[in-house]
Amino acid sequence: MLSRVADSLYWMSRYMERADGILRMLKINYASSQDDIQEFSWMPVLRIFTYLDEEGAVKISNNTRAVLQYMVTDRENSNSVLNIITRARENARSVQDHITKELWQCLNDFYHIVRDEKLNLELHKDDPVSILDVLIKQGMLYFGILDVTMARGEGFAFLNIGKYLERGVQSADILDVKFSDVNYDLRRTDTIYWKYLLLSISGYELYLKTYRSAFDARNVVEQTVLNDEFPRSILYSVVRVHRYFDRLKSERNKEAFQKIDFMIGRILSKVRYSTVESIMDQGLHAYLNGIKEDLYEVGNALNQNYFAYT
Amino acid sequence: MQTSELLNSYSVDPATWDEMYSDLTVRGQYRGVVDFMQQMSIEELNKKEDLAKRLFMSQGITFTVYSSGEGIEKIFPFDIIPRIITASEWKYIEDGIKQRLKALNLFLKDVYNSQFILKDGVVPVEMVYSCPHYLREMHGFHVPHDLYVHIAGIDLIRDHDGTFYILEDNLRTPSGVSYMLENREITKRIFPDLLPNNNVRSVTDYPNILHKNLVSLSPRQTANPNVVVLTPGIYNSAYFEHTTLARLMGVELVEGRDLVVDNHRVYMKTTTGLQQVDVIYRRVDDEFLDPLVFNPDSMLGVAGIMSAYRKGNVAIVNAIGNGVADDKAIYTYVPAMIRYYLNEEPILKNVPTYQLGHAEEREHVFTNMQKMVIKRTNESGGYGMLMGHTASDEEISKYKMEILKDPRQFIAQPIINLSSAPCYMNGKLKPRRIDLRPYALCGPEGIQIVPGGLTRVALREGSLVVNSSQGGGSKDTWVLAQ
Repeated sequence: MLSRVADSLYWMSRYMERADGILRMLKINYASSQDDIQEFSWMPVLRIFTYLDEEGAVKISNNTRAVLQYMVTDRENSNSVLNIITRARENARSVQDHITKELWQCLNDFYHIVRDEKLNLELHKDDPVSILDVLIKQGMLYFGILDVTMARGEGFAFLNIGKYLERGVQSADILDVKFSDVNYDLRRTDTIYWKYLLLSISGYELYLKTYRSAFDARNVVEQTVLNDEFPRSILYSVVRVHRYFDRLKSERNKEAFQKIDFMIGRILSKVRYSTVESIMDQGLHAYLNGIKEDLYEVGNALNQNYFAYT
Repeated sequence: MQTSELLNSYSVDPATWDEMYSDLTVRGQYRGVVDFMQQMSIEELNKKEDLAKRLFMSQGITFTVYSSGEGIEKIFPFDIIPRIITASEWKYIEDGIKQRLKALNLFLKDVYNSQFILKDGVVPVEMVYSCPHYLREMHGFHVPHDLYVHIAGIDLIRDHDGTFYILEDNLRTPSGVSYMLENREITKRIFPDLLPNNNVRSVTDYPNILHKNLVSLSPRQTANPNVVVLTPGIYNSAYFEHTTLARLMGVELVEGRDLVVDNHRVYMKTTTGLQQVDVIYRRVDDEFLDPLVFNPDSMLGVAGIMSAYRKGNVAIVNAIGNGVADDKAIYTYVPAMIRYYLNEEPILKNVPTYQLGHAEEREHVFTNMQKMVIKRTNESGGYGMLMGHTASDEEISKYKMEILKDPRQFIAQPIINLSSAPCYMNGKLKPRRIDLRPYALCGPEGIQIVPGGLTRVALREGSLVVNSSQGGGSKDTWVLAQ
């Protein structure tokens, strides 16, 4: 496979995963904003998912509609869903002969939907949940088509490596910012707060099944970092990155493979052999930050060893 | 009924050949389509038109227009009513194009090697040497199977009496074939059953024939030669076509930056190291192909590819330097080439053409400017031409000054009254002018022309310019089996 093609597939996949994460998180935070006695603040969301400075974020953090428009359709916000989908599509466009026609059409449709001026208007005055649902569904269609139609070759491996690297980073980010918002206070027993955090990463139902009891911040950390059955946990994401990277094993690129395999293996052990206690001893923020940096390192190494073409 | 109204409102200019109507009766080949349309209401037809637009948009068969820093996606206008060619018309076109391509290919081989045709004075030497597309770098080098033109898109038009004329020979990187294929797919969707009921010949074989030909050119004798399509990249207006062809042939689509030359061999950069390339179907123009030999600023090409080509380590399709054969000034001599190389009379006629480098002919053109279209010999896509019947006096005198600066760069042709075909526009049928570009594929085993092609339409009323860059659209093109 051409290095340029591998690069584009990897980034297309990362962007699609990012868009999905942002959309779900917006939907749940919107619901949470309707369920709060105090004035709801979008500050944590703006901190994780935008490049706004403190002042810029404060300006809109209490204005739900403004935040939604900024995060979904704003052309100036380089991390808006519109711009992320545009970049995913640009990448897809340059590898159309490596993804199925159905997948390309789905992503192309997504692009046209999110660019439609009508969407921006509706976001301003209609029910935001219906609009976010339309976008989330289009994303689900993308994931479904990818799963049903794409050949399980090298391209599929790069797609999944991109997807799960992005997801691992995203879950670490969400957890970190949500906890920083309460100053890493694990004794906080505010049920609604944890409920919406879990909902935003589709982990609420699993939490109820696993822990049954009232909300405990330690359990939230355990599920989001260490539960290997939870598809948005950090452990699950790293396991997947490891699995799909393993498929790239080849005699022709042995040295690079071994180097990156070692890196991923080390992250995997680090996460797998952590406990909530060991994480807390180290400090949640330091721990999550370490994982994130390790994952970025993997991205850089892929770039140097597999995607270099210029 | 609403739709007979649709037909009644169709008024044809009596001085023009209309593809559907002859003396106010529907020609036999259009009867099936006309009957079908008559069963439909305007609402249904509008719905069909809408569906066609949506299909183009959703498949990304679009080109991007950049304005105020943001890309806007546009589709090439598509008219839902097919252009229909009868079996006998097609036979005539096919024979004519095959004959012409045979001669043009021999001309290229000759002009880059022994130059018999120049020595015998059939084509003037200065015509060839003054052509900017004549490349010394190709001299004395034998291309595989002596094939220079592998893919040709020869443009045909029809005059008021229905006679076909060759308008130009596109022998470099002719585009538009993906529209031939996609337009047909759209027709299948919007008019179910209409194609089989009308005995329309299929065009779907095109990518398979092309692939077979490309494989046969491989310099390495291996079971699976590495064939690639070379594109200038996603910002090229024909990018959709490049990716379609790569996908339909199942080969890699590469950009210049994906390739590297080492020891006169071309390699592509893959995730597992370098992999040798055997055949390149390039959609990059000659001058951008190799910065070491041609334009040194080119970012689209591959440094050293020309040396690999001359060493015979890679096949390049179409051959480099073909521009000397589809030059608008050389065009005049194609009938003479056919007589010279094949000892045959040309089947398809040339449009009469005046060389403005020739003083007498220039004088004749200058006194009849209103009846002429004047073109630059090295431009294509409808750029830089003057239509005498619509130009103002000021434009004409300015253009004359341009011509006098370098007369060799210009030719003139009498304005041909292109044939018209019905187009569906805002609930009405309107005649619009059309041309035809069939796609010919030449391989070691001969020339094959897929029965169909691209019909381009001048969508503006009265316009004779069909180029997409000048507001043209396209139609699905049917060749009937009987």
